[in-house]
Formats: sequence, C-alpha cells, structure tokens
Amino acid sequence: MLETTDIAAVALQDSGGSAVSKEGAAALAVGLGALGTGYAQSRIGAAAVGAVAEDDEMFVTGLIFTALPETLIIIAFVTIFLV
Amino acid sequence: MKVRTEGSSNYEYVTARVRSRKKKLFDEDDYRKLVRMGQGEIARFMEDTEYGTEMNALGTRHSGIDLVEYALARNLAKHFDDLLTWAEGPLYDYVANYLRKFDAWNVKTVIRGVYTDAAPEAIETDLVRTGEFSERRLDRAAEAGSIEEVTEQLSPTIFGDPLAAAMGDFESEGVLVPLENAVDRAYYAHLLDELGRTVPNSPEGLYGEFLEAEIDFRNLRNALRIARSGADIDPAEYYIEGGQLFDREELRQVATNVDELVERVRASIYGAELSRALEELEAADSLIRFERALEAALLEYSSKLSNRYPLSVCPVISYILAKEREVRNVRAIARGREAGLPVEEIEEELVMT
Repeated sequence: MLETTDIAAVALQDSGGSAVSKEGAAALAVGLGALGTGYAQSRIGAAAVGAVAEDDEMFVTGLIFTALPETLIIIAFVTIFLV
Repeated sequence: MKVRTEGSSNYEYVTARVRSRKKKLFDEDDYRKLVRMGQGEIARFMEDTEYGTEMNALGTRHSGIDLVEYALARNLAKHFDDLLTWAEGPLYDYVANYLRKFDAWNVKTVIRGVYTDAAPEAIETDLVRTGEFSERRLDRAAEAGSIEEVTEQLSPTIFGDPLAAAMGDFESEGVLVPLENAVDRAYYAHLLDELGRTVPNSPEGLYGEFLEAEIDFRNLRNALRIARSGADIDPAEYYIEGGQLFDREELRQVATNVDELVERVRASIYGAELSRALEELEAADSLIRFERALEAALLEYSSKLSNRYPLSVCPVISYILAKEREVRNVRAIARGREAGLPVEEIEEELVMT
C-alpha cells in the first residue's frame, strides 16, 4: 500500500510544473467568464425581447438588464493584465 | 395523450410577454366606469381598448351587445393562440393541456347546439376558437346532424371514448348531463395525467397543486349547488377525480349538509384562502357571492404561485385565468346593462381581486 502511494507521489513530481502556463490560465479565466456571460444574457435577452415586443417603452430597460452580465466578462478580462 | 415535447422551455420569453399582457387587463377603475355606461357607450369604450380590432372586424356582421360578446370571444381566442405560438418544449405541453378547457367548452357548445337543432352557422359563431382542435374539426362537428355524429367526429380526441361511454346514459335518459359530465371529467383527467408524479415544491409540483385546487374548488361548487337546489341528484355523479379535499363518498355525505361542508373546508388547507368566500356564504347566505369569492380566491392563488416561481408555467396559467375573468366580467356588465339590471346587482356578478 505504502509503496503504491510512494510511486504515485514520485510520478506526480515527475510531471513537474503546471500543465497550463500562466497566460493560458488567464485565457481560460476569460473564456469561462465569457461562457457565464453568454448563459446569463441568453436568458435575460429572451425575457427582454418578450417585454419589448409587448411594450416599446421597455426597450431601454431591457437593454440595460441584458447588458448587466457584461460586467462578468469585463472583470474576467482584468486577469489578462494581472499575469 | 402527449402533445409535443422537444427541447427546453422558453419560460423567460413567455412569462415576460404574459406579465406585460396581464398588466394591461382592465382594472377596478375600468370596471367601475363600465358598469355605469349605457349599451352604446360600452361598445364605444371597447373600441378604444384591446378589443378594438375585433370590434371593427365583426362590426359589419353583428351589432350592440352581441358584437361585444363575439369580439370578447374572438379576442380571447387570439390571445390564447398567441401563447401556443410562443411556448416551446414542456411549457407548450402544459399550456396546450390547460387550454383544452376551451376544447371542452366547444364540445359542450356543439352538443347543446346540435341537441337544440341550432343552425351550424349559429353554433360556429358561439365557438371559442382556441385549444387543440383544428378549425376543420370544429366546423365538421358543428355541421353534424345528430349527437351520434358529433361523438363520431370527436372519436380521435381525448373526449372520444368518454363521450362514447356516456352515450348509453344519454339515450336512455334523454338529458345532456351525462355527456357534459363526461367532457369535464375527460378534461380534468388528462390535465393531471400529463403532469405525472412531481417533486413537491418544484415549479411542476406547484402547478400540480394549483390544478388540484382548481378541481377541489369545482367539486366544492358543484356540491354546494346541489345542496342548495335541494334537487334529488347524486353529487358523486358530478365528482371530478384528482382533488384532495374530498373523495367521492365524502362528497356525497357533505353535499347534504351545508354547515358541515363549510366546517370541512375551513379546516382544510384552503381554509385561509377561502375564509372570505366562506364568510360571504354564511353572512349573505348567497351562493352567487360565494361562487364569485371562490373564483377570486383561485385567481389570487394563481398570482401568488406565479410570484413564488417566476420561471414556471404558473404566470401563464395566472394570465389565462385573469383574461378569462376579464372576458366574463365585461360580458356580465354588457348583458346586465342590456337587461337593465341595477349597478349594484351587476357589481355582485363581477370577480375582482
């Protein structure tokens, strides 16, 4: 039992460093943030279009709410400058 | 009977539109104005509202209060058809199932029309063209010469088998009641079938609860009507399966005694929601008021559900109910004014929340 864990530990040390470079990790962060934004916006956008279809005055409000999740990706974008 | 289930529901889009439309319905002020208007004024008022398109389209064929009534029915059908065009996935199933209410309504209209030998055109003007039936099926059913032909036309639908089963009773007794009960039961039975077993407190679970409440309220109303009329009818015959307030036997027992019925409802889970309705019943001793209060309670319950679960079918159902009430209220006002009823009496007929 002990032997196998030892071997595993050695094997893990061998691979060394991280699989993804710093820049790569930052890019992943931005990408995942973009996915989240897209998901949120798709649902809010659907509701906003529905509201606008019924009442034109909802256009500005709808636009603001649709754009709100944009903050997610903007903040994720900051990681690019931090690495 | 499944309608269609593909992809996911677009709750966001549909609820946004539905909420917006619900807000545009008549409010108490509008009703207060309408109740005090003359017949001509009502027609003119309606032309400036939501119903303007229908009023103008039908203006050449009908006039006066008939025009208002047909415009209301057509507008209702238009709005509910819109719901079906918007909805996708499971949401479509729920809405389509619920809107079968109008199929049931149409079937009853056709049966009554054919029974009284009304002209097909006269029956067709009274149909509400929404729900699952196609235009052609409705037209064909309306043109049928006898009740047998109507049941035959409807055999591929959910009403086919129950109607065929009730035909024997109809033929031996010569009254429409067995057929109409069969239609109602078929509608409610399928409503719950479709939903199947649900997780409590999930959106679907709450929808199921709402449907149960609707069935319970309907059973309650039927029981009270029978108890009040004093007629020698077995209330169990009118019993609709699926509610949780009574079972068939219990309904038979309580329907003979109004006080017991009231006590029973007060102690049930609907006690809080129906307290106003029960007070009306005890204080005014008026069945009409109780029924209106019952409807108002259901309406309020549906609004409450739609706030608890915004992204579910509940807002849509709540809108359907509210729109139905509006149409019924306006109709009551228009007909009431036509008959020259006093304002107070018409107001009693209205359902307001």
